[in-house]
Amino acid sequence: MSGPSYPVPAAGSGAPPVSPEELLDWADRLLTSPVEGLGNLWPRACALVIRLALEQSLDRYWTRVLPEAAECGMRQQLLLLPLYAGSDAAADAGLDAASLAREAWRGLARAAHHHVYELAPTAEELRRWHTAVSRLTVLLAAEPNQVMGSR
Amino acid sequence: MGERARSVEEIILEKLNNDKVPDQVASLVISAMRGEELEKAAQKEQPPCPPCDGEPRLAYLKGVTVQGFRGIGPKVTLPLQPGPGLTLITGRNGSGKSSFAEAAELALTGENRRWADRAAVWKEGWRNLHEPEPADIEVDLTEDGQHGSTTVTMRWAADAELGEADVSVQADAGGPHRLADKGWSKPLELYRPFLSYSELGALVSGQPSKMHDALQAILGLDLLIDTERALSDSRKSADSVSKAARQQLPALLEKLAKHPDSRARAAEKALSGRVPDLDALAALAAGGEDAAGGRSRLLQMVATITMPDKDEVAAAFERVEAAREAVVATAGTKAADARRLASLLSAVLEHRREHVDEPCPVCGGRVLDNAWAEGAEASIEDLNTKAASVDKALQEQTAALHALSQLIPAKPAVLSADLGEEADPAEASEAWDRLVLPTLSAEAYETVVAPIVALRDRAATVLKRRAEAWQPIANDLAAWAKQARDSQQAAVLLADLKKALEWLRKVGKEVRNERLAPFASTSAQVWEMLRQESNVELGPITLEGSGPQRKVALNVTVDGVEGAALGVMSQGELHALGLALFLPRATAAESPFGFLVIDDPVQSMDPAKVDGLARVLSHVALTRQVVVFTHDDRLSSSLRQLQLPSTIWAVTRRERSVVALKKTDDPVKRYLDDARAMARTRQLPSAVRAVAVAGLCRGALEAACFEVIRSRQLAAGVPHAEVERALESAHTLHHVMALALFGSTDHGIEVVGKVRELGGQPCVNAFSYAKRGVHEGVNGDLKRFVEDTEKLAKALRR
Repeated sequence: MSGPSYPVPAAGSGAPPVSPEELLDWADRLLTSPVEGLGNLWPRACALVIRLALEQSLDRYWTRVLPEAAECGMRQQLLLLPLYAGSDAAADAGLDAASLAREAWRGLARAAHHHVYELAPTAEELRRWHTAVSRLTVLLAAEPNQVMGSR
Repeated sequence: MGERARSVEEIILEKLNNDKVPDQVASLVISAMRGEELEKAAQKEQPPCPPCDGEPRLAYLKGVTVQGFRGIGPKVTLPLQPGPGLTLITGRNGSGKSSFAEAAELALTGENRRWADRAAVWKEGWRNLHEPEPADIEVDLTEDGQHGSTTVTMRWAADAELGEADVSVQADAGGPHRLADKGWSKPLELYRPFLSYSELGALVSGQPSKMHDALQAILGLDLLIDTERALSDSRKSADSVSKAARQQLPALLEKLAKHPDSRARAAEKALSGRVPDLDALAALAAGGEDAAGGRSRLLQMVATITMPDKDEVAAAFERVEAAREAVVATAGTKAADARRLASLLSAVLEHRREHVDEPCPVCGGRVLDNAWAEGAEASIEDLNTKAASVDKALQEQTAALHALSQLIPAKPAVLSADLGEEADPAEASEAWDRLVLPTLSAEAYETVVAPIVALRDRAATVLKRRAEAWQPIANDLAAWAKQARDSQQAAVLLADLKKALEWLRKVGKEVRNERLAPFASTSAQVWEMLRQESNVELGPITLEGSGPQRKVALNVTVDGVEGAALGVMSQGELHALGLALFLPRATAAESPFGFLVIDDPVQSMDPAKVDGLARVLSHVALTRQVVVFTHDDRLSSSLRQLQLPSTIWAVTRRERSVVALKKTDDPVKRYLDDARAMARTRQLPSAVRAVAVAGLCRGALEAACFEVIRSRQLAAGVPHAEVERALESAHTLHHVMALALFGSTDHGIEVVGKVRELGGQPCVNAFSYAKRGVHEGVNGDLKRFVEDTEKLAKALRR
């Protein structure tokens, strides 16, 4: 891919992973201003970056709370998340970590892969996922290093 | 909603009363509302109050069975879980899924007028192509506080039309057998729980007036539309009827002008006034006489003259002749002489009684002895008889002559009148003068009477010819006179119809707003959840204008800027709008329908909006039974991935309309799938895995218990509110299990025993791990634990 290169965490490279906050900044820039050379690829690129931010955000949280979970697939992570983070009240409003993660993941997983008949995500969709992942990142960062089962 | 919701009919009746609308105008509105013939409305007394419905009970759907209807051939049942929850029926287009939705709506709404408006294609193609017969629909429901179920059956005879089905209600708990007695008609209007594909489709037609009507229908205001349409149609026809007489007049006048009959002149005169003389016209049309004392009547008199025929005349002459002969036969016998002689002899006989055997006192000759006396007595008798027969013959002669002279009636005056060119009475009149019997002989009579008979026949012919020439125009006159009366009536009706329509349009606006207002904020909330990334914000909605100018006024802002309403909305957004207006109403607390049936709300929604829809429907499903039909996988995949509980059925249709249903997902299955996935995740510390798996297994058992509790308790007649209260207050799996097994939490101690009875030790293990494991973790084989849980869940639901 030509054009500006984006920082991508190389697994096992030893380089410190880019923080989810930084990734979200990148995504925001992609959303608000055209990037030369990227052409029509920007929506998918943006989706990939937001998805990465989501993964990084969860990763950082699990590393702190339950390191083994970081190794699991997203399905397991999403099943575990309500057991660790958030409150019932937030869950009822769909604003708890698990709901935010689930909703963003559902869209991002689809957008980041190629589907024959599906078009690239719209700016509005990307913005919504961006908002959800931003909220999630803030929520997770604020969670204590709690013991499982406190909920 | 503070005050009790009112049906359109109630509101209109009240407003008719409050506005002091004149009786005849009010009658028109009411008749139009009730679908009666308006032309007769003006004369009819209207009952003041609509039929009152009883209080219906909260109902949930238990199943829909369909056969030989639309896309469904052989009998197939869609089983549903009564009570709140979300059920999705997925199937490709043409799989027959919508047929279930339509069948349920048709059966429960009965002979609803909404079906009358359906496209002709639909109305003709309602029977299944492959299995047109038998055709029937059964909808099973549970009703709050009633044991067992209630079944609404709709059955069609072999040759019946769509609207000719037999609809009956059968309830285990007894109750009405007529659908109309269920008390559903008003709630169906106010809180209609059905949202069909075509209604959502109509919203995106793009025509402002069509959208207006579609929204009105979603708001349950069909009656308003129909009433307005009925009044408007009547007004159009009254308008054309009122003008018809005037339009037909020139043609009639032209015909009259060409017609020679004097009645045509009379008719022209009757038509010449500012107001036509309809009575005179009707009389003329009936063949009646013209005012000018006309000749037709004179001719009529001539035509009815009756003359004796020659046989009668001959007979009369014969009688006279016979009488004359009788008189001649008495041959000079003078009756008076005979009587005088008889009385002389009588006087002598009298004299002789004193003077026996003396000589005759008259002539002084012969002695009047006994022999003379005997002879005299015989003579007296003979003389009297002769005199009588002479009298009789004379009388008969007189009578016969009289009869002869009377045979010819008096000459009618009409013979001296002017009968016009076609009949000259002069000759006949002269002939009549000569008809003096008996001066005329019987032979001569026929010759003399001939001109009279000729005149009479001529008069009859003239009359007949005139009648033949007049009849067509008489028909025209009669038809026009009737038309004129109709037009006069129509003109009166038209004035009232105009007033009625004007009034209804004014009131319609108020009714619409009354409908929209209570739900406005809920609608805005639903829209907020549905719109997702849409930059269109929804303000208050109003239905504006009337007649062809009617439209939906949306107060929308696009990116914070006020927009041109509908133009900026995508199809998906319009569907979302329809749902936003439909859902709050269908889920109103006052509705007796615990269920909602929505046919394909997903069409043309983008993926993000589908997620919003999934959330909205799940939210509604917390308190209502939501049944959604959808043609693709988007909604079900959204529900799955967002972890929203739902039961999913897949509909498939083989050749010859054989429709099959398969449950592909439900909350229990989903929990178990997740538990299995979690149990396999070796990366996690076993303690973490155990707790997570236990939580998911508990979820599976609770979901199974909830399902069992709801369907058993509702079927046992426990009021819905009580069931939900019990579910809410059951905080532990143990309580929930007790409710599922015994219908009450009082049996806590017996629960484990009952679980063992259901499935032995594995089930007991599953139950106790699910209870404790969430807090303590599970020791041992997680996979086995999930299997045991599945076994228990299955046993519970059996």
